[in-house]
Amino acid sequence: MAPDRSELLKDLTVDEAQRILAFASRLTVPSGASLFQLGDPAERLFLIERGRIRLTLPMQVRGREEDVVVEERTSGQTVGWSALIPPHKFTLAATAPLETEVIALPREELRKHFAANPTVGYKITLNLAVVIGHRLQLFQAMWLREMQRTVEKHSA
Amino acid sequence: MEMLLTVLCMSMLGLAVTAIAFGAATRPEKSSSQVQPELRPVKAVAPGRFFADKVVPPDSPGSYVPTEVLLAQIENHVRLEQAAAQSFLESPTHAQLHTKTTSVFVN
Repeated sequence: MAPDRSELLKDLTVDEAQRILAFASRLTVPSGASLFQLGDPAERLFLIERGRIRLTLPMQVRGREEDVVVEERTSGQTVGWSALIPPHKFTLAATAPLETEVIALPREELRKHFAANPTVGYKITLNLAVVIGHRLQLFQAMWLREMQRTVEKHSA
Repeated sequence: MEMLLTVLCMSMLGLAVTAIAFGAATRPEKSSSQVQPELRPVKAVAPGRFFADKVVPPDSPGSYVPTEVLLAQIENHVRLEQAAAQSFLESPTHAQLHTKTTSVFVN
């Protein structure tokens, strides 16, 4: 995967990206299969090479637990950043609605690589901050819109 | 003369008894204690319903939304909300944050 095609490898040189991808493994997630479950230990970070990943959270709907989509990630995007953030447990479930190819980066290998190459570690951490920050801002706005509706409903 | 005095005395006695009985009957009751007896709470009275009140129709079999449809509505709602939130992030204004949604899930 070329660095400019991945939000996580952005601003890395081709050589720096190649060194990261050297310890990665490529996985094909069949349509409908799970990539990880809520609460699983987050040992790997995933870059989506092709396809789509649905991130879901469980919700009680008519007394049954249903997985409700909260976000979808596509080619070039990152899922599973809990692998780099303590306590290293997935806070969402991820499934592939169609056959999807991902690049899996093991946490321990990444940690060692960042320790040996702080410049690369800094660039990737910065890219990760953009991904996390964007989700935070997005959900903050969504939360406020829902709260606004609740306030309007209760003050009507 | 004796009879007249007897009748007069009896009349006075009868008038006195009547006055005492009337006074006793019309005197307001006084509680022996200064402390008011504890009042038992009364159930909250439901607000009156008038013809103008909004009436919530009971669920009928015809209005039942299948769970699959409901889940699809929730998913569509999340997508619309994300799009609205994304528009706000690109152009953060009060108006962008509070744009109305077309989601059937909340309308």
